[in-house]
Amino acid sequence: MQTKLTKLLGIQYPIMQGGMAWIADASLASAVSNAGGLGIISAMNADAEWVREEIRKCRTMTDKPFGVNIMLMSPHVEEVAKMVAEEKVAIVTTGAGNPSRFVKMWKEAGIKILPVVASTALAKMVERAGVDAVIAEGGESGGHVGDLTTMALVPQVVDAVSIPVVAAGGIADGRGMVAAFALGACGVQIGTRFLVANECTVSAEYKKKILAAKDISTMVTGRRLGHPVRAIKTTYTNQYAKLEADSNYPDEQLEAFGVGSLRKAAKDGNTEEGCFLAGQIAGMVKKEQPAAQIVAEIMEQAEKMMEGVQWDV
Amino acid sequence: MTTLEKLKEILSECKGEDLDITPETSFEELEFDSLDKVDIVMQIEEAYDISLGDNMQLSTVGELIAKIEEAVANK
Repeated sequence: MQTKLTKLLGIQYPIMQGGMAWIADASLASAVSNAGGLGIISAMNADAEWVREEIRKCRTMTDKPFGVNIMLMSPHVEEVAKMVAEEKVAIVTTGAGNPSRFVKMWKEAGIKILPVVASTALAKMVERAGVDAVIAEGGESGGHVGDLTTMALVPQVVDAVSIPVVAAGGIADGRGMVAAFALGACGVQIGTRFLVANECTVSAEYKKKILAAKDISTMVTGRRLGHPVRAIKTTYTNQYAKLEADSNYPDEQLEAFGVGSLRKAAKDGNTEEGCFLAGQIAGMVKKEQPAAQIVAEIMEQAEKMMEGVQWDV
Repeated sequence: MTTLEKLKEILSECKGEDLDITPETSFEELEFDSLDKVDIVMQIEEAYDISLGDNMQLSTVGELIAKIEEAVANK
């Protein structure tokens, strides 16, 4: 299937894999790219050398384009931003802010830039800075979330900018993809479903949590500190929610309570202290399977639904 | 309309209630989140046809007024 997104990125199918911190490494990214989508390595809070190594590893595992997701609040953001330009990574996605200050450097390195945006104003601002497309991510997604839903955000961003828009948040299958096209997007970004791919190196306990989840299994915590995140309800999130609601509990201690919790979930499989980030569609993810099968299933369902439909996507 | 009056209009609209602001009002006490701030900057830029830069730190209303008036003067 050809859309504005597949043409822009030089990929076969309009599916991007979310840049999940502590989860999206060279193994998952290369598998998704080999399947015809766009695999993405998360630079999370890592230093430039760690990310460079993952990029080089990924290049030995696929000859297809892949991307790096740069978290703009990372303490290493400046060095990582320079490094991806040196490595001439094909695609960069960004999260947690406005990447305008890096756009010139990345464009000169031939990098395609797709910031994740949670409002129309941010979409307009990054369009003006010269990015290639935006990823409009609704609050159904896992991890850091905005208030707007995908259903409300995507068409408003589509109307606000003239560059291509990718829909993210709440998409797990072909139905979600077709819905995204109907809202005016030209592709989707999917995180949670790829988390259970065979090639994803996340802890077995994390995958179990996703596979066992149902529709109401996730909750949002962290609003008090201005960094709301969606995760599977666990001992950890319930405790966090209680502390967050307690106005006598200081912000600094609440912040400290959260430190390292994602690593504990993703790497250690610690079900007591880990924070298992996941989107609201976790309840639709029922089996661990190869990334190629996930991509094939989504495309097969979407293409069947779109038979005879002529949309300009 | 003065710059302060225009800002009062933009900030009040963003907050959803009438704000009583002075040049001394700090953005910290107004408690806008990061998306609100992006929205405010875009609205100001469109209203005055100016560019305020992409990673502007907002501290007080008075400082923002100064930056707007400087950008307008340099148009």
